[in-house]
Amino acid sequence: MSQLDPTLDLPLAAPPRSSRAKVRIPGWLVLLLRNPKSRTGLLMVAFVVIVALLAPIISVSDPNAFNILVTRQAPSWQHLFGTTDQGSDIFSQVVVGARRSLLLGAAAGALATGIAAILGITAAYMGGIVDELVNFLVNVFLTIPPIPLLIVVSGYLKSRGTGTMIVVLAAVLWAFEARILRAQALSLKNRDFILATKVAGESTPRIVFGELIPNMISRIAAAFVLVFYIALLTDAGLEFLGLGDQAKTSWGVTLYWAQTNSTVLQGEWWPFFFPGAALAFTVLGLVLVLAGIDELSNPRLRVERVRRRRLLALLVGGRAAARAESSA
Amino acid sequence: MSTIAPLEVRKLSKRFAIGSALRRSHVHAVDDVSFDLRPGRITALVGESGSGKSTVARLLARLYDPSDGSVLFEGSDVARVRRRNDVRRYRSQVQMIFQDPFGSLNPVKTIRHHLERPLRIHHIVPRSEIDERVHELLRTVGLVPPEEVAAKYPHELSGGQRQRVAIARALAVEPKIVLADEPTSMLDVSIRIGILNLMIRLKEQRDIAFLYVTHDLASARYVADDILVMYAGQIVERGPIEAVLSDPLHPYTRLLLAAVPDPAKQLHMERIEIRKGLAAAAVDPPPGCRFAGRCPLEIELCSRRTPALVEARPGQSARCHVTAPSTS
Amino acid sequence: MIAPIEESAVARTSAETLLELRELEVDYGIGDKRVRAVDGVDLEIRAGEIVGLAGESGCGKSTVANAAMQILRPPAHLVGGSVIFQGEDLVGKSTEELRRFRWRNVSMVFQSAMNALNPVMRVGDQFVDMMQAHERISKRRALGRAADLLEIVGIDRQRVRAYPHELSGGMRQRVIIAMALGLRPELVILDEPTTALDVVVQREILQQVQDLQRELQFAVLFITHDLSLLLEVAHRIAIMYAGEIVETAPAARLATEPQHPYTQGLLESFPPLSGPRARLTGILGAPPDLRDPPSGCRFHPRCPHCLPERAGLYARQTSERPLLREIAPRHSVACHLVEEEGAA
Repeated sequence: MSQLDPTLDLPLAAPPRSSRAKVRIPGWLVLLLRNPKSRTGLLMVAFVVIVALLAPIISVSDPNAFNILVTRQAPSWQHLFGTTDQGSDIFSQVVVGARRSLLLGAAAGALATGIAAILGITAAYMGGIVDELVNFLVNVFLTIPPIPLLIVVSGYLKSRGTGTMIVVLAAVLWAFEARILRAQALSLKNRDFILATKVAGESTPRIVFGELIPNMISRIAAAFVLVFYIALLTDAGLEFLGLGDQAKTSWGVTLYWAQTNSTVLQGEWWPFFFPGAALAFTVLGLVLVLAGIDELSNPRLRVERVRRRRLLALLVGGRAAARAESSA
Repeated sequence: MSTIAPLEVRKLSKRFAIGSALRRSHVHAVDDVSFDLRPGRITALVGESGSGKSTVARLLARLYDPSDGSVLFEGSDVARVRRRNDVRRYRSQVQMIFQDPFGSLNPVKTIRHHLERPLRIHHIVPRSEIDERVHELLRTVGLVPPEEVAAKYPHELSGGQRQRVAIARALAVEPKIVLADEPTSMLDVSIRIGILNLMIRLKEQRDIAFLYVTHDLASARYVADDILVMYAGQIVERGPIEAVLSDPLHPYTRLLLAAVPDPAKQLHMERIEIRKGLAAAAVDPPPGCRFAGRCPLEIELCSRRTPALVEARPGQSARCHVTAPSTS
Repeated sequence: MIAPIEESAVARTSAETLLELRELEVDYGIGDKRVRAVDGVDLEIRAGEIVGLAGESGCGKSTVANAAMQILRPPAHLVGGSVIFQGEDLVGKSTEELRRFRWRNVSMVFQSAMNALNPVMRVGDQFVDMMQAHERISKRRALGRAADLLEIVGIDRQRVRAYPHELSGGMRQRVIIAMALGLRPELVILDEPTTALDVVVQREILQQVQDLQRELQFAVLFITHDLSLLLEVAHRIAIMYAGEIVETAPAARLATEPQHPYTQGLLESFPPLSGPRARLTGILGAPPDLRDPPSGCRFHPRCPHCLPERAGLYARQTSERPLLREIAPRHSVACHLVEEEGAA
């Protein structure tokens, strides 16, 4: 540095030492692990994923095998979760069923979020006719009540396979998220750094995918998790009503059979409890992850505006102060 | 002095519609603005908030379409150009620096990304030389060591450093014209001079034409060769900066001069007369001078007829019936 | 018309010390993530005096103001020092005592306060609210006083019935100032009162504040990053850097004989509006990260007088924190160079 060329900066200060120099854990994961809610949620979901992955190993018998010798057995060491009225091992059903649930939830989540993101964000950025078209589409899909639609569609569809279910669920759930993502993209699109890339000559697809979407990851992740667990619940609900593919192994189907065979009336709680608990556990884990993401992505913004008003009220000490203090 | 054709702005106007479809009014953000930008010269565009100065910059950057008038670059009107190649060509010659150093860089991308994109879009250098060019750009703006800076994220740099990155990004395409929209107003006082000195150096070494938009007369005087004073969407005075500031024609320019704190005058602060009025763009303005209500020199003609920009002294024009009357 | 701040005006203010900050220390956060934002600040304000506190972003000046009003919010907390108002230490007082003290004795206009007005209450009602919190007064009389106060700051009386969004930014800021003066406090703290406003509006407000101060004789602590404003408005100026006060002096002296290299650098950063157009240098580098401030004198990495060649001085500059020492009447500097070589 010399006085003759005053535009040279001093060398940058050394950045704060990162304690995770050894293992490169992605930043978002670190944040999620740090938040107690999402940490718990992630562990819960991870547990279910591991169970699902290990399903072929840990399920002791074919989940659909009938065995009239062991029908309606209460939980025991041979059958951890008991057996159905046909003698099928419920533990195996739950463990194998996890695969389908996770697959379906994740796929529906990914598909719905993908459509919502692309349509919503592009509509927000491009504005004009594109925006109006997409808005129209979103409104149409939003006015259709999802459950009745699903019931009707499932009733009419020849194949009720997992693939169909995924598509149908995605079709019903994308519109809600598209609106939210569009709103966030609208607020981002006039930020200076987006304008700057436009002035630099960047093309629209590049701006949407390369600049906008990377800044919306937390909202998109939240959308994915939301659709995931709604898909799970909806699918289980439909199967419980008998509208699913009863040949497949899944939590909802197990519940369906439990219901049709009036097991509770006979005092058999296990065909209901275990698949129900598995479902609840998974959904709870996802909800906790979602809560963690929400906490992380709505940090001080909302708080700052309110702070100023409360600060003035506090200083002035009037009625407003009391009101402000109570409206935490 | 090179023979590159300057940017010519002719009768540029921008109106924004407000209100509902039934009671529509228009804000005349920019009204009949004409000026030239010449290579190797810094033109200051000075005005208060709402005067339209930022809108002018954004019109020149093609972030808005004008309502009227033309922007001639190398002879052709770029305001009306639609073809992607033509737009891209314009964007390779005209760049912009934004006011907010914290907002004009994408928070999730490295500095290298910000500089690389313009290089790639406009094929400034072959792929293999991009790294080298990025480092060279960083060195030009005084950010060293370039390898370290390029790997950083915006939040790891200070405000002044981020603004230098913004300048480097603008320089990447080797533009002929740079539009600087209040580049120092959000920086600390001691950092501003460094940025201003950098601008002067670039103007001298690279023959760039700068438009320096600001509300700060003092910094305008420091860097600029010419000055345009804007009020309520119109240019009210223009000329070489020394001439205009040492002996202003328009009463608004005099008001601005009196209002700016001047440490050199230190303890002898001029009092200004407080009169009601705003510098902001008028909604559906009636004919007549927009400054009339606040003007100490107001005469009867001022509220009847809008004054034209008249060259009252060689090279210096003002829009005022009293100090620069049209000789018709 | 000219309104100079002469030395005699300073002498006219009473010698009574209104507010004294002694060795004030404020931390943000706790444990290893603790950052010391204010590190041993001493400041004195006398009755009727306008004291300016200048510094760049992150130097801690707003934190000082908040500490003086005892409104530090977590994660900020006071860890040392005293805030002595008219002889009484405010640190440790109860919430009720502080409530009575705030606004009646000391009021504050903080940054962007104009955005803090309640948007669903009329302006006059907000005044009433404030006044009734501190004294028994009927709504009618309070509204009358409110209208008087609006007139004092140059706003039409009728605006008492207006909602905040009906007023411009400059007018809202004046409303806040009027509210701050409502109970005739002895000290008004202004924290960046004009930063978001245009230069003409800024000038109007400053003129208003000066006129009012001359008439009502309240003391002012004026906090800003814009030293040029202080040179025109303040009687005395304190310069803050990285959590410390590095120089205090009467405004006229600071402008003509600044001693601290940072002050000198700051003054060098204002391009003049008249006179020759010389190239300025500003100050190289950037303010330090307070999580890891430089050792010794915090300004030393940026100081043109900190050179390894001058070994003895250099050693002190890099290891020892300079203390504020008085070098002339009411003129103190914290600088090793000045200590060694005397006033420049």
